[in-house]
Amino acid sequence: MSMKIVITLAAVVLMCAARTSAHHAFAAEFDSNKPIKLRGTVVKMEWINPHTWIHLDVKTPKGTVERWMIEGGPPNALYRRGVTKDSLPNGVEILVEGFRAKDGSLRGNGRDLTFADGRRLFVGSSGTGAPRDGRDKSEK
Amino acid sequence: MAIRSGVAIASLAVAGFMALPACGPPSSTSASSASSTTPRTAWGHPDLQGVWRYEGAIPLERPEQFAERASLTEKEVAERQQLEQEQAAKRLAGQEGAAVGRRSVAESPIRGNEYNSFWQDHGRPRQVSSRTSLITDPPDGRLPFTADARKAEARASARYGVGPFESYLDPDTGERCLTDGVTGMMWQGPNGGHNRIVQSPGYVTIMHEEYRDRRVIPLDGRPHGNIRQWFGDAVGRWEGDTLVVDTTNFLDRTNYEWANIWTRPSESLRLVERFKRIDANTMEYTITVEDPTTFTRPWTAVIPISKLSNDTQIYEYACHEGNYAMPNLLRGGRTDAARAASKVRRP
Amino acid sequence: MRAGSRVAVTVALVAALSACAPSGASQSTSYVAPRTADGVPDLNGVWQTLNTANYDIQAHPARPALAIIPATPRTGTPGLVRATHTDLPALALRPLGAVGGVPAGASVVEGDEIPYQPWALAKKKENAEHWLERDPEIKCFMPGVPRATYMPYPLQILQSTNTVLIAYEFAGTTRTIHLDTVGNSPSPSWMGWSRGRWEGDTLVVEVTDFNEDTWFDRAGNFHSDALHVVERYTPVSPYHLMYEATIEDPKVFTRPWKMRMPLYRRFDADAQIREYKCVEFVEQLMYGQLGVIDPATGAVNK
Repeated sequence: MSMKIVITLAAVVLMCAARTSAHHAFAAEFDSNKPIKLRGTVVKMEWINPHTWIHLDVKTPKGTVERWMIEGGPPNALYRRGVTKDSLPNGVEILVEGFRAKDGSLRGNGRDLTFADGRRLFVGSSGTGAPRDGRDKSEK
Repeated sequence: MAIRSGVAIASLAVAGFMALPACGPPSSTSASSASSTTPRTAWGHPDLQGVWRYEGAIPLERPEQFAERASLTEKEVAERQQLEQEQAAKRLAGQEGAAVGRRSVAESPIRGNEYNSFWQDHGRPRQVSSRTSLITDPPDGRLPFTADARKAEARASARYGVGPFESYLDPDTGERCLTDGVTGMMWQGPNGGHNRIVQSPGYVTIMHEEYRDRRVIPLDGRPHGNIRQWFGDAVGRWEGDTLVVDTTNFLDRTNYEWANIWTRPSESLRLVERFKRIDANTMEYTITVEDPTTFTRPWTAVIPISKLSNDTQIYEYACHEGNYAMPNLLRGGRTDAARAASKVRRP
Repeated sequence: MRAGSRVAVTVALVAALSACAPSGASQSTSYVAPRTADGVPDLNGVWQTLNTANYDIQAHPARPALAIIPATPRTGTPGLVRATHTDLPALALRPLGAVGGVPAGASVVEGDEIPYQPWALAKKKENAEHWLERDPEIKCFMPGVPRATYMPYPLQILQSTNTVLIAYEFAGTTRTIHLDTVGNSPSPSWMGWSRGRWEGDTLVVEVTDFNEDTWFDRAGNFHSDALHVVERYTPVSPYHLMYEATIEDPKVFTRPWKMRMPLYRRFDADAQIREYKCVEFVEQLMYGQLGVIDPATGAVNK
């Protein structure tokens, strides 16, 4: 029993050993003590690598609108899964869960992004589920 | 009419006469014999073209616990295969938090949990192999760092992602949207490490997706020049079906921060790379790194690289054009410094 | 013909072709470029333009600097009132002296007119007035198309069977021109998405899916994300390509318009593109004052 665990751990160690350097000074930009949960409308996308930037209009409880900048992950991987600018058009409503910028500004990272109806942004339950992921031949 | 035909003839004469170095005939170092099965370009060189990526799970260095073991047992390989399948399926379904025991954003430490993996290019399980390291020499499978470089690597590891960051010089070269260097280019990359190889008469061009790094490698047997560059000065030749690339004349960038010290160039760095197509979908890439500034002896790694489907693209990599992370982390640094200062002021 | 005379004819011919280069009249030339192994015209090589288009694609006189302030008109002392103002280099550029001056140059725009919509002409003028803050070239951003062609750095054309690469020296930018069928661009980009085809000896490249962030020159000429460029590369001698770029952008211009200029082959023995990794050169400018410490002085930033 203990032998099996050791071997499995070894396998895990081997597989995690390569640093997949995401180049992310996360702790320098964002505050783990400031989780955010925002519902907002996309007003602009910047398809920058390694971080997409999603500009979001968020209605506050007071009724004012705040303009947030949400940092996402790299877009190029999404392109190869069939995601395009049409997957996240201006005007669509999304939910963002992540962490706020250290300096308290209206910036945050978007770890978890979902559409308003609860569908995971960019990810489906089987395959990629993303529009234009190559599975629908009529989409061109 | 007569004038025009005269002009036409003279034009052809011009074309024939001038020895134009840039568009001369292919290199005199001949590429291989008819017995090889490597496909050929239209001008007869071995064809290495396509979009390539390392899709394996072998780490660069052999983990400590494997000591002198260069290979795993069959049982260990089978276990890894199963684990890899499970993890890949979970990543694809967006459940990687569950795969590693995390339950919610609030419960998770930031580092390593910044983004769900739908952002990363992990759509497929990685290839499992019995090898315990990409490094084949030295025999212990580990980087032969000098004492100074080992300290530098430990320091780089400790500060990676956390800082401190006092100025734009403190993040690593990747965070600055410069480059991650040449050494790991053919098998590493924070966004998936895709490389497109394009061949034209007299040149092999490698386009790395990250940072839009680009190497244009001449094959005409010219000597190395004397102008230093971040990517050095590469010259290539064919040895049979193998492309051999020799690169020197790197700029010294050891004073910059690097995510991985083993990729940092110095003036004494020399790389010898060998690209050999094994079959339609595999290339064997061998790199020998020699740099007395960082390593006590040369080291060699062999990496099996996979060819991706023909419609795979390298997309534009606009990094510096929107590097908001830089001002954000510098502002974060100022916030931290201000907080620390105010703690000192108010007991 | 004996070898010596053939050489003489050849030299004379090259000289003649260079002398009567862009007449603007016809595309057809009697020069037939050598073929690649794929049977298409061979455009491989290191090339560079030789003009002032990157300063201003329209005709322009020489001026003291890229950012100008008018000298304050002088009043007061009788007899010393100046009727016209004087253009002076902006303070930030003044120490450059003659190195910072702008040379005169002819237009590369056919007809020398850029058909801006009225709002866009005002915006171009505003861009020019705010050149120092706004020109993306200053920050080492990717220059877009066609500006990348006529920046003062060489480019290299690398032809494979279904792909042509254009490797630019400036900021290490590379364009992939697809000669075979390719899908659509997933998002807007700085250098656009390029599809190429041969029309006779001309490589025709359709470039789409631009973002709105590049300029055409240092004079504030700009476009929107509706930009569509059609480039034509035509070999006219072993040492010259004639380059044309037709610009179409219904959000900014009232009609399509065209630029035209030669590309000259760099045939010196060591001709190659080198690195110009200018991101490193602009970090102090962009980020020097943002961190705790300013690396230029070592002092704490206020």
